[in-house]
Amino acid sequence: MPLLKLENVTKRFGGLVAVDDVSLEVRHGEIIAIVGPNGAGKTTLFNVINGVFLPDGGKIHFEGKDITTLPAYKRAPLGIGRTFQIPRPFGSASVKENIAIGGMFGAQGHSMSVDECMEMADRYIDLIGLKGHSNKPAGGLTPTEKKLVEIARALAMKPKLLLMDEAMAGMNPKDIDHMVDLIKQIRETEKIAIVSMVEHIMRAVAGLAERVMVMHQGAKLVDEPTKEALSDPRVIEVYLGHPPEGTVADR
Amino acid sequence: MNKTLTKYLPLFPVLAGYFLLFLVGENLEGKWQLIAMLAFYCAVGQAFNLFMGMTGYVDFGYVAFLGVGTYGMAIAISSWPDKGLGLWLLVIGLLMAIGMATLLSLAVGAVALRLRGAYFAIATIGVNEGFRYLIEGARLWNGSEGIIFTAQLNTAFGREFANVLATYWADVALFFIAAFAAFLTLFFLRSKVGYALTAVRTDEDAAKVIGINVTKFKIIAFIASASLAGMIGAVSWALKLTYVFPPDVFAIHYTVEAIIIVLLGGAGTLLGPIVGGLIYGLSKYYLAVILPGFQLLIFAPIIIMIIVLFPEGTVGVLKKKVQGTAWEKIIV
Amino acid sequence: MVYEQLMGNLIQGLILGGIYGMATMGLSLIFGVLKVVNVGHGQFIMVGAFITLWMFNSLGVNPVIAIPFSFLVGMLLGFLCYYSFVKRLLKGPELASLLATFSVGIILEETIRLIFGSEFRGYNWALGKIRLPFTVLPYTKLIAFSGSILVAVLLFLWFKKTRAGTALRSVVEDSLGARVCGVNVDWQYALSFSLGIGLTVASGVLLTMFIPVGINPNMGGQYTLKAFVIAVLGGLSSPYGAFFGGIVFGLIENGSYTLFALLPNVEPFALTRFLSFVILLVILLIRPTGLIRTK
Repeated sequence: MPLLKLENVTKRFGGLVAVDDVSLEVRHGEIIAIVGPNGAGKTTLFNVINGVFLPDGGKIHFEGKDITTLPAYKRAPLGIGRTFQIPRPFGSASVKENIAIGGMFGAQGHSMSVDECMEMADRYIDLIGLKGHSNKPAGGLTPTEKKLVEIARALAMKPKLLLMDEAMAGMNPKDIDHMVDLIKQIRETEKIAIVSMVEHIMRAVAGLAERVMVMHQGAKLVDEPTKEALSDPRVIEVYLGHPPEGTVADR
Repeated sequence: MNKTLTKYLPLFPVLAGYFLLFLVGENLEGKWQLIAMLAFYCAVGQAFNLFMGMTGYVDFGYVAFLGVGTYGMAIAISSWPDKGLGLWLLVIGLLMAIGMATLLSLAVGAVALRLRGAYFAIATIGVNEGFRYLIEGARLWNGSEGIIFTAQLNTAFGREFANVLATYWADVALFFIAAFAAFLTLFFLRSKVGYALTAVRTDEDAAKVIGINVTKFKIIAFIASASLAGMIGAVSWALKLTYVFPPDVFAIHYTVEAIIIVLLGGAGTLLGPIVGGLIYGLSKYYLAVILPGFQLLIFAPIIIMIIVLFPEGTVGVLKKKVQGTAWEKIIV
Repeated sequence: MVYEQLMGNLIQGLILGGIYGMATMGLSLIFGVLKVVNVGHGQFIMVGAFITLWMFNSLGVNPVIAIPFSFLVGMLLGFLCYYSFVKRLLKGPELASLLATFSVGIILEETIRLIFGSEFRGYNWALGKIRLPFTVLPYTKLIAFSGSILVAVLLFLWFKKTRAGTALRSVVEDSLGARVCGVNVDWQYALSFSLGIGLTVASGVLLTMFIPVGINPNMGGQYTLKAFVIAVLGGLSSPYGAFFGGIVFGLIENGSYTLFALLPNVEPFALTRFLSFVILLVILLIRPTGLIRTK
């Protein structure tokens, strides 16, 4: 049984079709990259999986359970975690508190006390390498540090699936490599599936993802293992904006 | 055990402070009314803080909960003074006050708490007036004439004791309510409820994605805040004054004061509303000597300044300063 | 007999509704452009009422003159508020601007109270009456109604036809895009805010033409609630919706008064006030963005 299954999911905003009949399967422990230019519908897709938006058509199944119309706050404890493109930690709370909050309301939240969540937060702070910043208000961190806090907070939710939205946007190559290692480490130790959304960072895609799904104008264009995707002319066209042969097609 | 002690450490100075305040009132000649007023503002501030401070939503109709609480007690005393219930009459009155306030908060919350930010404020702005005009319009509980129950209180307790109840024990009860409000605040802050509300206050959409049922927690804070207000009204307005009059107990004036107190002191903190209550109460009392009736005019611009310059309030600023030091454990 | 009374009240309600509507346009304009809810709305109306009172009683000036004068005073107040704090609160939490506008309302109320005292005042501008089917209408009310319609039309034309108005519409649609086109968004915000306040204060004048008594510093609060009901009825960000919402509200208010007056053992005036509040909650429950679809 796949961990996440999207069947013909469609989402419209007025006349605009943001997500167009997308079907996708994510298996336990997989790492998938969703690529596509701005406006391809990636963030909307994430929002639909999360429950921020309800789809206009299609179904979503998580571990066999139909979550299509489930409210967002009920999906999180099932095991769906999310980080945002522009990190949104709770600014006035400390790093430790932020991560602990993830634990309090996540998949194991019911069985954990506030203190236990705080202890768990310490462990994640070590994992992301922010040891000295435990008690600092999250609002005062650098953007990269905020991203790390968001990831740790999402991990504290003990998700089975982690949706990462442009986790590496705006980073220099060294940080990107660190992030790639971190994600791999997370997959190993936490045994979760990761769906990572990247716009065009080849480094991240090549080093990380087992499968690539390409989105274009809301629809799924390509869905295949990374090796094939990297040499697929359709994928290259999406990146370059024109077919690899150099002929400019009319749009 | 040690953990609990550390967690609730900040409560001890607060309780000590209230006790000290009480002693001052007891022993200083003629200052009891001032002390009672300070206790009132601290209590109202803390009660209001439970909702506005924690969730970041403004309930402009807040005084309605004080008002219905007053009615709860008033109805109890005026209806059953001759049943020989003794002090149980007051317990019933208190329970009715809490009950009515809770019911009203559920009714208002059912509509208003589904709404975001500005719409919530709009929904609540007429609650106090609306309820007042319901009472007057439908002539509930004597309508616009209100209820005067001095005579009934005398019947229930005898003239002398009734007098002591109204002039002394009503105010003492207020201290207990204020202490309870402090405990409740700290309890929230240290529990999942408090953290959930922090998340809701900061970023409601992110909170949902984390798994927080924002509506549930907003309702919890709303009801807690409302029922405390009901208790305060029952004691500080009904029992103390022995009458209830709709235009008095539903006046938006008190919501304004509550807002001032919470913002001045520090929204969402334990000490904030207490500090705010003390500052506001003392200012009002001493201003009344030189510039009577001016206090709102003086405080309203101060509120604007606070919102623009330091929205965390006095205690909020203090918290930042003591971060990393030992004081961090007590300035909460 | 009841029927005639009802019809008479409804006509009065229609007229008053037009004024209510105009009074709410400022609120909707400010919310539509800046997403700020002016909780001190009613107090600005009260200021307009007092300006009229003062000009008539102390200076012997015709209230019609008070209209543009109040409008200017309103715009001045608007600019003052915008540049001193509203501007800074635009990016912050909603709570901040709510409380700030609320505080401004308090400042206005207390200032007027300290200058003029809390008593109920009025003025007497006797121009005679006109006979209409079902009811008698003082000319003053007619002038007030015409004034409201005139202002609404002027606003409409200003938005559609002038450069400044078009720029403002662009800011509502897409502030980033407008910025790119060279529109000074900050100035547009300031202008909208001040325009909104100006309209609100001016509406206070028109209101007193309809109700020239009971003018006191505390009168603002009830109008804030009514304005919210109307704004929610007509769509919170649409000034035109607000106008029509006002008319609907005026009709409901007067109509319900007539009906309540028929019931035994109630106080109809208080019940009408309660009804407005219930309407607000019901609309917010069903459709918070407003019942009337207008652009």
